[in-house]
Amino acid sequence: MRTTPNIPDPDAFYEALLDTHAGLPATESHALNARLVLLLANQIGDQGVLLSCLETARDTAAHRRNDP
Amino acid sequence: MSGLSPTGYDLPIYDYETPPELSGTGRGRYPVVIVGAGLAGLTLACDLASRGVSAIILDEDDTVGVRGASSRGICYAQKSLEIFDRLGIYPRIRDKGVTWSVGKVLRGQDALYRFDLAVGSRSAQPPFINIQQFYVEWFLVDRIRELGRTDLRWKNRVTGIRQDEDGAVLTVETPDGSYSLHADWVIDASGHASIVRHALGLHTKGELGEDRWCISDVRFRKDLPVERWTWVEAPFNENRAVWQHLMADGVWRMDYQMLPNTDPHEASRPEVAAARLRDQLGPDVEFDLVWVGAYAYRTQLMDDFRHGRVFFIGDAAHVKSPFGARGGNSGIQDAENLAWKLTLVLNGQAPQGLLDSYNAERRPAAVENIAVTRRSGRFLAPRTKVERMFRTAVMDLAVHHPFARLLLNTGRMCVPHHYGPSPLTTGDAGQAMPNLALDSRSLGGMLRGQGAGFLALWCPRDGEDGLGRALSHLSHEGWPLHVQGVGADDRRVLGMAPGEVMLIRPDLHLAARLNDADVDQVRRALARAICRI
Ligand SMILES: Cc1cc2nc3c(=O)[nH]c(=O)nc-3n(C[C@H](O)[C@H](O)[C@H](O)COP(=O)(O)OP(=O)(O)OC[C@H]3O[C@@H](n4cnc5c(N)ncnc54)[C@H](O)[C@@H]3O)c2cc1C
Repeated sequence: MRTTPNIPDPDAFYEALLDTHAGLPATESHALNARLVLLLANQIGDQGVLLSCLETARDTAAHRRNDP
Repeated sequence: MSGLSPTGYDLPIYDYETPPELSGTGRGRYPVVIVGAGLAGLTLACDLASRGVSAIILDEDDTVGVRGASSRGICYAQKSLEIFDRLGIYPRIRDKGVTWSVGKVLRGQDALYRFDLAVGSRSAQPPFINIQQFYVEWFLVDRIRELGRTDLRWKNRVTGIRQDEDGAVLTVETPDGSYSLHADWVIDASGHASIVRHALGLHTKGELGEDRWCISDVRFRKDLPVERWTWVEAPFNENRAVWQHLMADGVWRMDYQMLPNTDPHEASRPEVAAARLRDQLGPDVEFDLVWVGAYAYRTQLMDDFRHGRVFFIGDAAHVKSPFGARGGNSGIQDAENLAWKLTLVLNGQAPQGLLDSYNAERRPAAVENIAVTRRSGRFLAPRTKVERMFRTAVMDLAVHHPFARLLLNTGRMCVPHHYGPSPLTTGDAGQAMPNLALDSRSLGGMLRGQGAGFLALWCPRDGEDGLGRALSHLSHEGWPLHVQGVGADDRRVLGMAPGEVMLIRPDLHLAARLNDADVDQVRRALARAICRI
């Protein structure tokens, strides 16, 4: 799994991500995220990388909960 | 032999006869006793008989199927059909049943995903035939009687067992009273509630699923394609899953997912079932309900499929939910796996250690089947809001994006297990060979006959190649082996290179694939495959 920078224009991507969700109620945003995860997963297409991403995403939330 | 009345089927009734042990003529001790004449037990008895091995088979009932109930299993997979071809009942199954290969996952009227299992299939048998389970059992009983080596004892109920190192003693109850039966080997094929298992104090890890389903078997006049249709969210079943599939006698199996807290009696009331069907088929279609019944799906797995002198096959050893038709089909493969090993051991051609490989091969198969059916179950019954959200995402994407269609999981159809890690396998072999149609006959046809032989297919290097002669020597040395050189056409079908040997087991699994082979390598692979090392 790559964690060093790989997104060519990070700010523009981030803006596009927020714009994609703009104006959606929370449930629709969640549904959009679910579709997005599946689409991105198919772009990656590497089981090892996908499993590392899942693990990292989950662990990151755990660390936050444990922060003082 | 339609056997169908509007309310059910007329199943054959087999005569009970006073067992020799109770009429004073019993032999006292037998090499093989099978408990339970269901799919697994009957396949084993038939397979053993086809190899020349006698057995006693005990069943508490005196008919096929489950009395008063409709069919359980309906879909029989290619591997099972290949086994039935070898056993001689395939033509009857083909003629009676419904051959199919196309499946669809639908949303409302639209197909989200379509597959055709015939694409890439290379067997003489089709990917699937649908037929009521009791017909398969019926044909097996007929065949077993024809072979004339098996003592079928109806209304013989096993109530207890004890065993020592040399054998086991079963307690059997009959209408004439009870008796003891001594056996060298006992095979328990008595289904998910096995008394043998309980009597031996053996555990089975398991759970009764929350997911409730209600089957309606029905006949109607409406032209529908002979395909397997599944809905994840059917509008005519309150957005829950539905199966629609044709079997013999023009009977359709409709299977409706219920709510977890559904009352099974209410769900299977004829009026309620009829209302569901009316919604599904439309107002103008006439139909006859053949049978209605509610099920909760369960999972069970034994720690070891062998316990001393007792082997467990079929549902006695492992139970899974029906997604992908992995229950009966895997029991049939258990039976085939054990049959050739028992035959070799009883004929003195292999050591008893070979029998341990039954558990080494069939337990991982059961573990895999349980894992696969669990995934389907989880897709069909999301446990949380988030699980449901991902499922909706999959279905929404599947409309336009092919990648998402492969995530739709309404059951992954049964395929033979790969015995790669098995102690019997040499190198990276272990896969099941399809019953290929070769020049003279099918691959399975070459393995038919008495005993349990392996098949060595060899591909000559040139006209002078002595490999064939050297291999034939192995049979003279007493190894259970047929040797067959392959001609130019078969070489292509098998994808073999000059000097290559394929060593095929009696169950059509590949024991070894040897490049540029010599006879010692083949002998070693064969020795390994029957534990003679
Ligand atoms: C709704 C449903 C749909 C299914 N669909 C499919 C499908 O499409 N394809 C598929 O392959 N599988 C399917 N299955 C699974 C399949 O029906 C079972 O896996 C199969 O019946 C198991 O066969 P068995 O021989 O191990 O056990 P069983 O069929 O249960 O047979 C056990 C036999 O043992 C006898 N017996 C029991 N106790 C004793 C005793 N104490 N003494 C003597 N005899 C005894 C019984 O009378 C019975 O004949 C389905 C199951 C269900 C519930």
